[in-house]
Amino acid sequence: MTDPNQQSASQSSMQEMGINDASIERRKKIVGFETADLARIAAIKDLVTQHADDYTATFFNHLSGLDEARPLLASRAILERARQLKKEHLVAMVQGDYGRKYVEQRLELGSLYARAGLDPRVFLGAFHQLLQHIGVAVMEQSEKNPLEGFENFMSLKKVAFFDIGIIVDILVFERERVIRQQQEAIRELSTPVLQIRDRLLLLPIIGVIDTLRARFITESLLRSIRANRAKVVVMDVTGVATIDSKVANHLLQTVTAARLMGAFVIVTGLSSEVAQSLVALGIELTKLNTVGDLQGGLEEADRILGYRVTATDASGVPTPGAA
Amino acid sequence: MAVPILKQGDVLIASIQSALSDQDLVQLRDDFADQVGRFRSRGIIIDVTALDVLDSFATRTLQSIAYIAKLRGASTVVVGIQPDVAFAMVQLGLSLEGVATALDLEEGLAHTAAIAKQGRHRVR
Repeated sequence: MTDPNQQSASQSSMQEMGINDASIERRKKIVGFETADLARIAAIKDLVTQHADDYTATFFNHLSGLDEARPLLASRAILERARQLKKEHLVAMVQGDYGRKYVEQRLELGSLYARAGLDPRVFLGAFHQLLQHIGVAVMEQSEKNPLEGFENFMSLKKVAFFDIGIIVDILVFERERVIRQQQEAIRELSTPVLQIRDRLLLLPIIGVIDTLRARFITESLLRSIRANRAKVVVMDVTGVATIDSKVANHLLQTVTAARLMGAFVIVTGLSSEVAQSLVALGIELTKLNTVGDLQGGLEEADRILGYRVTATDASGVPTPGAA
Repeated sequence: MAVPILKQGDVLIASIQSALSDQDLVQLRDDFADQVGRFRSRGIIIDVTALDVLDSFATRTLQSIAYIAKLRGASTVVVGIQPDVAFAMVQLGLSLEGVATALDLEEGLAHTAAIAKQGRHRVR
């Protein structure tokens, strides 16, 4: 009945989110769950278990009336799975055992919502509808002692809020996971180190440089210097719009680290605005070897490495007069 | 553990194989200072490929070896600094200023040979 892959997926998200036995206890404490609540929940256990199907239907009926819930309802497979998990949830809610296993089930349902793109506010609305129905039934059951009924229901509500805490956390976590993956992808894309010739690397830097990215650029450059046995690196900063003292410091660190590995770094593409602001800031850049543009930098690199570029005609014969 | 200094033509080579105590580093410096004059060497190569850390004392000692050698007529190249070590060094603000560096021993030998050649041209 339970898919082993699903189970291990929720176990791994549990680990990534840092949920363990201690933090589960902490979550119970946060919603004010006490031992006395267990007895009160036991009093309404049969009621909820018997009508679990009805309550599940309430939840999904409410959702089906909402446009926002369409992504969840659109796929039959997801919907069936969600229905099944929701029913298990309702039954588990009144069993009195809210440990690791219970949290895992909540995470599984939560990540299902996340995959279906269900917003927390939509889920919260439907869940409240469901609680309302349970509340009415509980009050009806203890008609003669309304206070007791109310207390029983409030104990169940603590469990419900415990669940909401977990579900909202996983929805946020899943959303952040996408952001993390995109950041990683952008970082990978944005720092290519290209080999132009034997022993000559080009490092084009585009966009904003922060500490993390500077670190990433430096590390990938150093790895490439080693892998390609580079002697000269041309670092082109044409794509860097502004350079402040922090960025300049990062660039200097990259240059120094490359030099420690025996590579000679040529910086190219400092625009007039950037050059002026660097001078105005009084940043010491005398240790940098700079050439105006990328072409000049590559020519300089060729000269250092002992290459000579010769223009030829179609048959490969050097054109007279060309340098 | 003292580091042996190998003589290869007019170049002295020391390959550091394990983390050195400060005393070993000072010993290495003194040995180089002595041998550079004795063998009339033109170059010194210090290979740190096997090291996974270069602290401030080690960096300063390497620098002083380079200065001493220069005063006695030899150029110094430090070779084989690992990417991680290089990154850690710049983070600590250690830049080995004034000391030539090369990727590995082969590059270091080429560098020393190039400098020696320039030197001979100058004499002629």
